[in-house]
Amino acid sequence: MALYPKTTIIALLFSIYLFQQVVAEEPDAPAKPQSEINEKAAEAKAVFFALKVLPILKNKCFACHGEDPNGELRGEYDMRTRAGLIKGGESEETALIAGKPEESPLFLAATWDDGYSQMPPKENDRLSEEQVAVLKTWIKDGAVWPDKLPQLKHTGSDWNQTDADGTVSVRTSGGLSDDWTYRRYNPADLWAYRPIEKQQVPWKALPASLKSKNPIDAFIYKGYQAKNLKPAEQADKLTLIRRVTYDVTGLPPTTKEVEAFLQDNSQDAYEKLVDRLLASSHYGERQAQHWLDVVRYADSAGYANDFERPHAWRYRDYAIRSFNQDKPFDQFLTEQIAGDELYEAGDKDPELLIATGFLRMGPWEHTAMSVAAETRQLYLDDVLNGVGQTFLGHNTTCFKCHDHKFDPLPTRDYYSMQAIFAPVQLTNRVVPFQKYENTALLKEERPITDARLKDKNVNIGHVRREYDRLKEEGADQKTLDAMQQDLDDEALGLKKVENKRKGSLAKERARYNAWTMSVYNGTLKVKSNRDAMLMPKPKQRGNSAQDIMILAGGSLESPTEKVKPGVMSVVFGVAGTEDPGQASAVSNKINGRRLAFAQWIASAENPLTSRVYANRLWQQHFGKGIAGNANNFGKMGKKPTHPELLNFLASYLTKHNWSTKAVHKLILMSHTYRLSSQHAEQQMLDKVDPDNNTWVRFNPRRLSAEELRDSMLAISGELNKEMGGLPVRPEINMEVAMQPRHVMGSVAPAYQPNIRPEQRNRRTIYAMKIRSLRDPMLEVFDQPSPELSCEQRDQSTVTPQVFSLFNGQNSYDRSLALAARLEKQAKSKEAQINAAFQLLYGRDASQSELQASLKHIAKMTAHHKQHPPVRVDPPTSVDREMVEEMTGLLFAWTEKLDIFSQYEPDLKPWDVQPSTRALADLCLVLFNSNEFVYVY
Amino acid sequence: MSSSNFRQSLASMNRRNFMYGLGAGMGTVALNAMLAAEEQQSSAGPLAVKPQHIPAKAKYCIFLYMAGGPSHIDTFDPKPALDKLDMKKFTRNDKFASAMSSGERYYVKSPFKFHKRGESGIEMCEHWKHLADVADDLCIYKGCQGDSVNHPTANYHMNTGNRFGGDPAIGSWVTYGLGSPNQDLPGFVVLPEVAYPQGGSANWSNGYLAADYQGTTLRPSGSPILDLYPPKGISREHQRKNLDLLSQLNQSHAEMHPDHEVLQTRMQNYELAFRMQAQVPDIIDLKQEDQKTLDMYGIGNPISNDFGRSCLLARRLVEKGVRFVQLYTAGWDSHDYIENAHSKRMQAVDQPIAALIKDLKQRGMLDETLIVWTGEFGRSPDNGQRGGGARAGRDHNAKAMNMFFAGGGVKNGHVIGATDEIGDTAVEVVHPIKDVHVTLLRLLGLDDNKLTYFHGGRFKQLSQIGGSLIKEIIA
Repeated sequence: MALYPKTTIIALLFSIYLFQQVVAEEPDAPAKPQSEINEKAAEAKAVFFALKVLPILKNKCFACHGEDPNGELRGEYDMRTRAGLIKGGESEETALIAGKPEESPLFLAATWDDGYSQMPPKENDRLSEEQVAVLKTWIKDGAVWPDKLPQLKHTGSDWNQTDADGTVSVRTSGGLSDDWTYRRYNPADLWAYRPIEKQQVPWKALPASLKSKNPIDAFIYKGYQAKNLKPAEQADKLTLIRRVTYDVTGLPPTTKEVEAFLQDNSQDAYEKLVDRLLASSHYGERQAQHWLDVVRYADSAGYANDFERPHAWRYRDYAIRSFNQDKPFDQFLTEQIAGDELYEAGDKDPELLIATGFLRMGPWEHTAMSVAAETRQLYLDDVLNGVGQTFLGHNTTCFKCHDHKFDPLPTRDYYSMQAIFAPVQLTNRVVPFQKYENTALLKEERPITDARLKDKNVNIGHVRREYDRLKEEGADQKTLDAMQQDLDDEALGLKKVENKRKGSLAKERARYNAWTMSVYNGTLKVKSNRDAMLMPKPKQRGNSAQDIMILAGGSLESPTEKVKPGVMSVVFGVAGTEDPGQASAVSNKINGRRLAFAQWIASAENPLTSRVYANRLWQQHFGKGIAGNANNFGKMGKKPTHPELLNFLASYLTKHNWSTKAVHKLILMSHTYRLSSQHAEQQMLDKVDPDNNTWVRFNPRRLSAEELRDSMLAISGELNKEMGGLPVRPEINMEVAMQPRHVMGSVAPAYQPNIRPEQRNRRTIYAMKIRSLRDPMLEVFDQPSPELSCEQRDQSTVTPQVFSLFNGQNSYDRSLALAARLEKQAKSKEAQINAAFQLLYGRDASQSELQASLKHIAKMTAHHKQHPPVRVDPPTSVDREMVEEMTGLLFAWTEKLDIFSQYEPDLKPWDVQPSTRALADLCLVLFNSNEFVYVY
Repeated sequence: MSSSNFRQSLASMNRRNFMYGLGAGMGTVALNAMLAAEEQQSSAGPLAVKPQHIPAKAKYCIFLYMAGGPSHIDTFDPKPALDKLDMKKFTRNDKFASAMSSGERYYVKSPFKFHKRGESGIEMCEHWKHLADVADDLCIYKGCQGDSVNHPTANYHMNTGNRFGGDPAIGSWVTYGLGSPNQDLPGFVVLPEVAYPQGGSANWSNGYLAADYQGTTLRPSGSPILDLYPPKGISREHQRKNLDLLSQLNQSHAEMHPDHEVLQTRMQNYELAFRMQAQVPDIIDLKQEDQKTLDMYGIGNPISNDFGRSCLLARRLVEKGVRFVQLYTAGWDSHDYIENAHSKRMQAVDQPIAALIKDLKQRGMLDETLIVWTGEFGRSPDNGQRGGGARAGRDHNAKAMNMFFAGGGVKNGHVIGATDEIGDTAVEVVHPIKDVHVTLLRLLGLDDNKLTYFHGGRFKQLSQIGGSLIKEIIA
């Protein structure tokens, strides 16, 4: 990072002014000619006003008191001049008394004093203590408001060099106004932009009793010392294997794995376990799940039609492969941002094109209802924000309409970074399916799609059915004629339903094309919603990039200055980028912008990238980041609890060639990771450290939505561990599957699960994720919406979870399958019960649990003998209804469920004996129990 | 609320004190958060009733959502000027117009007659036969403008304040701010049609607020709440036996983990869910209402039956102490055949809504209930040559629309704001959607600027960045 050690005269003056504040009363102040002191003091006061006071008035007051766009003047109080400020408004009371802040209504209102109206009125806008202090000083000092404002400059500090008041100024490409450009920051708020300095590991903090020497523990122990805390005991081996197995693979340990680990008394038993897990291909699935949360993966495009994205899965599998290969993170990110540019430049690895699916992850659609210029701007905003949140820990929309309110991020940077993406055009590229991609389901489903394409009679209107019946029965023409209007109305609606089915089938048909979602550089062309168009020939791509202008107030209708492509200017001096004020950081050519940008992000010197990623890795293991907002490293994000540790991990990552697994290993091997979740002095901790910011114990967590479903399948023995490929359609709540959902102009066809259980019972990461048709079981257990980047999952505890897990068909099916598995595995009821406890909890049942379970099975067997199951066959058609907008009337039709008609059910209660159903009741209870649902 | 959420709220409160704490001037939210925290500590739960920020009459809200975009020109905003312009051709070439509204256009007059109704003389379309009786209870607002002419984004905007979805819905904010009188029922209930609106359940999502504030759908067919009941053939007695064993296992597990507070919450939820299984059918059982009431709501009449059931159910829910009920009905997207379609849509909702207002009034509940009627946008005075031909319908229009309010705190019997002479754009008392949100919250006693939640590094609010009150709507 470049430093700017120029000290300007203004800074000096400013310091003198502050110095005077302190020494004014001291008799020994150095003697100087009075006139010089007065002149300097006046200038310093002018600077203080321009730098500190005026921005507060501008940002907090003028919008209502002088600069309302509609010319309204609240309280008839115009604050834009000193005279106006003093005079006050409709109350006719003098608002400001120079020299006497405590008697000035303006100041009292700003402190939200009870006697005065609280100003500014919004909680969000309220002045900080610091701002109130500035106002106070200024009024006390005579409320100086010079006619001519002094020219502001940088103090030129290198961020370690603070001004007399403890603030620093920061060089950027410059704000829309000088007072933003030269504003000063509290250095603590800039932690994330500082270079990552080499951290000394505080080894001395480690107690001698600790055998393992892990740098993480040294940093954590240092934190204990500061608060005089002692860590919890180490977790027992059973807790540990369950914790680490779920953590790394998202699946429960098998009974055999638990046994082996418990019996392994060797020194490195735990390390062997960690190594085995990190080498497991399920590691990549789990890791990719975290990644897809951040990049907002979905298999549909969102908005009005929410059409399927038939090739999104190739990006999902790319992510899984990349994690399993431990692809260096700098390479991983470069491929996602600029893979196509590398490809065009000569590296013909198909992964490079598949990776750019990242640039297409946000919801996107362009229809006749959309404005092309808006669609394009939405895309540019979305793709930049995706990159900003994912890699840089910043929500870029915060500086789209104005310079950032808190962080050193000018609007100019927003548009400079947007210009990086100006040449990007959306396309599907032909990339033959690779050997390492799973195409089994594609082959299997193709004949089904072909048959669906041919089937013409899927939707039959109820009026039509009645009409045909009457006609067949020989009804007279008068009766038939009387139905004609209804028949016509229905035909209108049905035609649209049929059109939507065709639209949906077109996407299904496109699955079999060897395409991948990608981009190319070219001249702006907003394409129709049928984005199934192929890459244009080189000549048709165009060679001029769209101009990017700074949009005043973020409005498309107010373009102002044209900008060149650039990076986040506060992070200059990295990867060849120069002084933001001097030169464009990135080439202005149509090709290579994204590659340069990616290289800047991927530079080990970029202070954000490695910190942001290391923080995410920490968060996924400990449930909470070192910095508490993984997507916001600015002032308003939570500050790191252990900044030195975060720096250490970030450098560790880059030093180990950006190896994700190296950081996992370091974390998993730490003493801190292995702490028990129980602490002997919890009551004391509730007072001293209620949020466990010192990591003095481990935070228990609830299984995530995907872990719950995957575990139930794994435990019941039904999980098909096949990896990758076309998204599968598991069974979801049947009513939701059949629910008509409005898409543009009509409704979408019903959701139909895959035919065979092995297809349906895959890991959840392979389940088709439709934005407007979420699996309610996953949703209720906090699977995030793919609309927004999810920095951290919620772990809510709400009643609908009970309905889903205790009543849902999925739970009943898994419980029955588990019961059947147990019966196969063990003869006696006792052995079956113990096997169940082993599978779910990793331990045998206690005596009382065994007795209770035996009693329950006996009771339920009797119950089931008296209550035979009610057989429910899968539907072959569904009656649907909607209000048709052409007629304003409700109309009903029957949709044939072509796939359901070939459906092979899972094991059902009517296939088994009452005793099996009774054992399934026990399994259902266990699946709902807290011991299963929580990881300690 | 789970203990982690509870701790989170404490943490954010501390943060607020740190940032804004100016001695005695502790913000209302901070105070509320503290009160709420105390209530939660006494295990009153996240829906515990919290005080209003500003005293207001309305305590409940029934939000009637007309999905598709009802035409203001054909409902409450007559435009005689269009009669003269009818079928006049013009061309629109605007960079910021969609393909749908560009090119050759024709002005289209309203096919309907309008009448002055009530003592206040509010002009209403001839198809509002029953609403005419309660005209003096309505406050029609014609000044609102949106940003989006796409259904899902406009739906999200109206319901969550954010065009792109993912943020909490109004009902979530209201229950977050006020809690809900009945702790055994969700505070925010949604009554959708069989077909879900565009944008789906994100229209009633809790967004970044705790999951307790998510809209719970009571579906009109099948299981009212998803998986409210176990699969067919599983009796209540059967479930109770399983629950008893579960409770026994959970109990001994909790004893081993005394500091893990959320275990208790989760155990209680199983009992609450079991109680709800019994209560919900009782609440939604409209057979408990007499025939006169059913008739009043138009239940049994094919055209108004479905929305009539929803309106009656809304009244029952509010009676039971549900804070916020949102009703959906679609089919207002009349690009074509507007005469036919809009007249049918009005007939479908007219009697049910009028009955709801009358019924609440006769039960003395109208004063404490706020009723809101709106779609996601209005419609254009002109049409292209789509589908049924130039005359037949209207396209989307975000610049002009109408909505109405009724009930507690509303300036009833008034028309607020106006659109230009052809209904193309709002020209009087013009406000963006966020101001409608601010006003709606205020009518329920909530200050949008104080109803905030710290998320993703900033205090978020329904209006996104703050808005102004539409004072003219408030009595």
